[in-house]
Amino acid sequence: MIYFYDGSRAGFLTAFLAAFNDNEAIVTSSQRQLTLGQEAVFVQTNAERAKKAEARLLSFDKYCMQDLNFLLRCSDETRDQTAFEYLRLIATKKRPVRNMLAEDAVIMASNLIGKVKHEAERFRGFVRFMESASGALYAPIAPDHDICDLLVGHFRARIPNFPFVIHDVKRKKATVYDGKNVFCAPLENAEVMLSATEEAWQALWKNYFEHVNIVERERLKQQRGYLPVRYRKFMPEFHD
Amino acid sequence: MISADKLSILTNGAKYDVSCSSSGSSRKNEGGMGNGLAAGCCHSFTPDGRCISLLKILLSNDCIFNCKYCVNQASADVPRATATPDEICELVIDFYKRNYIEGLFLSSAVHISPNHTMEQLLLTVKKLRTEYGFHGYIHVKGIPRADEAIVRETALYADRMSYNIELPSEQSLKLLAPQKTKESLLLPMKSLAKEREVFKAEKRKGHFLPAGQTTQMIVGASPEKDGQILRLTESLYRANGLKRVYYSAYVPVVHNSLLPDTPGGALREHRLYQADWLLRFYGFDVEEIVPEGENLPTEYDPKCAWALRNLHLFPLEVNRAPLEMLLRVPGIGAKSAYRITEARRYTSLTFEHLKKMRVVLKRARHFITASGKFYGVENETALRGLLAAGETAKNAAQLSIFTDLQIARRETQFMLYSNAETARSALTGEL
Repeated sequence: MIYFYDGSRAGFLTAFLAAFNDNEAIVTSSQRQLTLGQEAVFVQTNAERAKKAEARLLSFDKYCMQDLNFLLRCSDETRDQTAFEYLRLIATKKRPVRNMLAEDAVIMASNLIGKVKHEAERFRGFVRFMESASGALYAPIAPDHDICDLLVGHFRARIPNFPFVIHDVKRKKATVYDGKNVFCAPLENAEVMLSATEEAWQALWKNYFEHVNIVERERLKQQRGYLPVRYRKFMPEFHD
Repeated sequence: MISADKLSILTNGAKYDVSCSSSGSSRKNEGGMGNGLAAGCCHSFTPDGRCISLLKILLSNDCIFNCKYCVNQASADVPRATATPDEICELVIDFYKRNYIEGLFLSSAVHISPNHTMEQLLLTVKKLRTEYGFHGYIHVKGIPRADEAIVRETALYADRMSYNIELPSEQSLKLLAPQKTKESLLLPMKSLAKEREVFKAEKRKGHFLPAGQTTQMIVGASPEKDGQILRLTESLYRANGLKRVYYSAYVPVVHNSLLPDTPGGALREHRLYQADWLLRFYGFDVEEIVPEGENLPTEYDPKCAWALRNLHLFPLEVNRAPLEMLLRVPGIGAKSAYRITEARRYTSLTFEHLKKMRVVLKRARHFITASGKFYGVENETALRGLLAAGETAKNAAQLSIFTDLQIARRETQFMLYSNAETARSALTGEL
């Protein structure tokens, strides 16, 4: 049986309860074509049931909801099924399973969690802010996974005196820090009036980037490995 | 705002310093801008494959010293520039705000006199910390022959300081860097290390080099062998408490009859880094790594070479071997060793499990058994060939065609459990 849910965390936990005893369960939030003979259920999100499932799972492993949080951010198509099997293993073993790396479900889950965490870590470095005329900072990003709001705490601690916006242009949403509070909002397009000196600073940065390179030691493959081309779209040093 | 010309001159002079890390300090933001990330952070990567973490820049490239290997030596005909402390501070603040950099790496040529230069460096970092309210990462170069008092005060504002040894023996220093002596480099290092210990022990307020000290050596500009370099490295780690020793393969940017015209070789640099990691994270002693003949073998990594000299210790059973022995298996790194020790608590591990756990078995399979099964090669000669061929394509090309073919055939025979090494761990050995 296929269990469709709405993509929310509560929706997932409701589906988790519904599918728990079904050995052939497939849990998913994406559209898919049903093959002949396949049965499908559209799980109605139920906050109360979700809460119950969460409390039960937390009693076995107090960090499992953090794992789930990372798993549901992953853009990989197998994420729902992986999260389902991982949590089901916790529920059957009635204990944390994180280190049972010989279990398929644990390996799959730890791979996906690793992907999300790794990307969030990379973006702490790869985010590029531009200064607007009002002094607020704006950074467009297009990450593989839904990590936009994971980055805010890091920058808030660093530049608390500057309001900033991190805009995930792929998912059309933004995380905003207004100098005091943080909130998320859907955002399609943003038009930014740049400050008078912004372009000059970008030019200086490009100048620095060009001159700090040792031409005799070109290793483009290594550069691509560390900084894949798809991440370079909003980094001024890679554009003329 | 600093001019573009000045920035490019001062960047060009600083870029040959290899130290790039911004790790080791978790300085808090105290009402201004910036903090330290203990794990460090890379912000960009240049086409030479190196990361940009810190803004690496000279305060001045106008030098009175005449080190033969250096682009900034007094007798070189290059454009000269000197920045003001404010120009540097502004640059750091505006780059940091836009998340271009993780902090500042401030170095300088010896301008006017060692003391004058060190004072200017101190003035810059003090300004940056106090007037500009910057709490991000700062790495400052120590200037040899500068007054100890100025150096110590600088250490109160910096996260890390470094004196570059550059040449690993006294003779080479005399020949190639006549104004520097062993003492002018090692004594300030020792005194800073001691002061740091006292500062910690007395639990004084503030910071004193929270990320410690590092140094750098040029490889291939002078005739020292790997053994000598590694012994010096070990004493720096164990007796002087250094955090990192960097190696830099010599790039012939300056022509001088005392210097070789050929580059030092990236492979040798890579092997030294591998050996360095073995010293710091894998519990090896330098005498175990350095073979007879003093130079590290180029055809395989130093851990592999050690294992081949000690074949009587292998194969190890992964389900029982202690952690410190697992760490000595070629191909098994700290992460894999940890995963194995965790996973084997719940079940008896097989090769299938190891493969799924992404333990790299290309080399390891010759040195381990899993639940009693062995999938490696027992014949020592064949094993040597296989391990050498598993290295970079460049190395493989050095073997004759005949052995190459033979190895290729063997390789396919054992492909079943091999796994492609990831470029990242092979190149950086990072944990």
